[in-house]
Amino acid sequence: MSEFIFPYVEETNFLKNLRLEVREFVKNIFKKNCITPSPDAWVFGANTDFSKQLGKKGWLGMSFPKKYGGHERSMLERYVVTEELLVSGAPVAAHWIADRQSGSQILRFGTEEQKQDIIPKITSGECYFAIGMSEPDSGSDLASVKTKAEKTSTGWKLNGRKIWSTGAHLAHYMIVLVRTAPQLENNRHSGLSQFLVDLSLPGVTINGIEDMTGQKHFNETIFDGVELKKEALLGKEGEGWKQVVGELALERSGPERFLSHFVLLDNFINEFRSKISDLGQSALGKIISELQTLRVMSFSIASMIETGQSPETQAAFVKELGNAFEKQLVETIRGMSNLIPFNKWSPGLKSLFEDATLRIPSNSLRGGTSEIMKGIISKQLGLR
Amino acid sequence: MNEEIKIFFEIAEKIFSKKIDHTIRINNSYKNKKFLELLNELKKSELTKLLMKEEFGGANFCFADIVPLIKLSAKYGLPLPFSETIIANYILSESNVKPTNDFSTLCYETSNITIVDDKVSGVLRSVPYLNITNFILAKINFNNKDYLIYFENKSGKPNQLKNFLAEPRFDLKIENEDLIYFLDFPSMIDFENLISNIKSIQSVGAMEKILELCINYCSDRKQFGRSLSKFQMIQNHISEIALETAASGASISIFQTHSKNKKSNENFFDLKNTAIAKIRTGLASGKIIASSHQAHGAMGFTKEYELSYFTKNLNSWRNDFGNETYWQNILGEMFIKQNKGMWEFLN
Repeated sequence: MSEFIFPYVEETNFLKNLRLEVREFVKNIFKKNCITPSPDAWVFGANTDFSKQLGKKGWLGMSFPKKYGGHERSMLERYVVTEELLVSGAPVAAHWIADRQSGSQILRFGTEEQKQDIIPKITSGECYFAIGMSEPDSGSDLASVKTKAEKTSTGWKLNGRKIWSTGAHLAHYMIVLVRTAPQLENNRHSGLSQFLVDLSLPGVTINGIEDMTGQKHFNETIFDGVELKKEALLGKEGEGWKQVVGELALERSGPERFLSHFVLLDNFINEFRSKISDLGQSALGKIISELQTLRVMSFSIASMIETGQSPETQAAFVKELGNAFEKQLVETIRGMSNLIPFNKWSPGLKSLFEDATLRIPSNSLRGGTSEIMKGIISKQLGLR
Repeated sequence: MNEEIKIFFEIAEKIFSKKIDHTIRINNSYKNKKFLELLNELKKSELTKLLMKEEFGGANFCFADIVPLIKLSAKYGLPLPFSETIIANYILSESNVKPTNDFSTLCYETSNITIVDDKVSGVLRSVPYLNITNFILAKINFNNKDYLIYFENKSGKPNQLKNFLAEPRFDLKIENEDLIYFLDFPSMIDFENLISNIKSIQSVGAMEKILELCINYCSDRKQFGRSLSKFQMIQNHISEIALETAASGASISIFQTHSKNKKSNENFFDLKNTAIAKIRTGLASGKIIASSHQAHGAMGFTKEYELSYFTKNLNSWRNDFGNETYWQNILGEMFIKQNKGMWEFLN
């Protein structure tokens, strides 16, 4: 396969109205609760009250079945809500992973009891998830994970360590990729399984890791002989790799891959619109072109997911192009300030810029590095 | 793609795949027998009439319908004024003028144009494919108003330009050529917009071909005992080409889709969407040219091998009708002038 098409999906008036509704809601709630927009808020901006408010509006678990507290709305509606929350810099980190990918995994692979117990809490904004994929010795090479689950008479015993788990300190559950059988010689993806782990269980220790911004948003999670019930196995034993790959399409294709720092752009323009030089004007034209193209691609993937397709490779396209765009965006804003010395920026804008500058290196690492994205694409092109 | 256009697409693909090879791209003259076969097949197919009104023998398709066809012609490196003829036929047909059955070309740069007693004189610049056709549709400014003229060049001697383009282009001085038609500028056509979009579509076609060439060449050629495609650096170059090609394809889908919703008396295209595509394809072209040549090594630098034909076309099309910086300025200025927030402007 050498052609990757992202069919254009038109935004209906219904979706345009939904946008306005979300925008108005966010504006009001920001004002009422004195919330300040922040860049990268889906990673750094946890506010459990805000998550619950979104739950009340019906904007979490939007596509989930009604019988589990969902709203059976389309992935396109969810996309629109997501975009609006991201561009406003809303504090969505607490529920982000549960709403984006973990809830869907439970709906696909969980037991009826798990669905009934957990999904309604996700949709009400009260139950949060962390991702249990990377390990100290398994980053990009995810198939080499060493965390183990061994069968016991009552279920499973879990031992090992997961790392870089964003929000694990706030999360109630983690979906953990572990080894349940040795790797077959001819299939390194064999012997892996996913488990739904309650993070309050004895034997689970979560240690925050300070990142280069000085914040502790990601964590090391240690599983020391954690006793799991049989039902904690999510999906089929040995099919963890296949399941995790499906999860990655949700993780990599969304607008958070290119709208995480929109707040900075918006604030810069609002502050300096009249002072933007011809050079800056041209730079804005470039940003508009790249951003609109990325939105077409990401919205197209939402539509593919809606129609039951599995666009894992397309998701890698959005992630790679989106991450590159965001890095360039922060640099471009720096460049646009050629007529506006840094010391003339308002403290708020300066703070946004500094946050963005510090956080930007992580964009092309989290959710899979650029090298891994290009590896996925190469494989689909038949080069591997 | 609807069923009807799919049929024409398949006809085109059949002709292109059978009749185009690299030798006719580098020798596209009437003296070349293979080239003549291609030319005649295409004329018979009437593919260039698809946008024309039915009363003139056309199929009355809309612009969005023929985007895949224009892209395909660029992907195969069709060395003929194919999109130019489609556009000329369409404009003439919309102006209730029956086009000729021949190929036509378009001219956008003219100077010293005079029209006396239905005879036209002046200078035409950078006209593509005057080695193939003498029928020219030119945009002119006459008495401070824009017009389109259509005429057959009978006596002017085209002077082929020395340039870096794959498609041949010519300057032409004409004296007292008979005007076939002299048209008021049709209200629904913004020439700059239209042709810029054609260049973006063609660019995506060329990118798709370059990606294919890179995959095939790097899979076949071995160095250090293994295929080039097994080296991670080469894989990175090729995946970069795939990424940029996909983004460019998405960028043209914006104006393609929006043009469907336009009423017949409106311009087909919003300037904003034209700019988005021209910028995105222009940016992608630069990266793709560099990465594809790097992946191919010296072979890609030869005239004999296909790659250079497509990278030369990309270089040409990214500069035609304003390069990305030109369109970035237009788009950036449009945003600043509207005095809206960025998100509002984007939605």
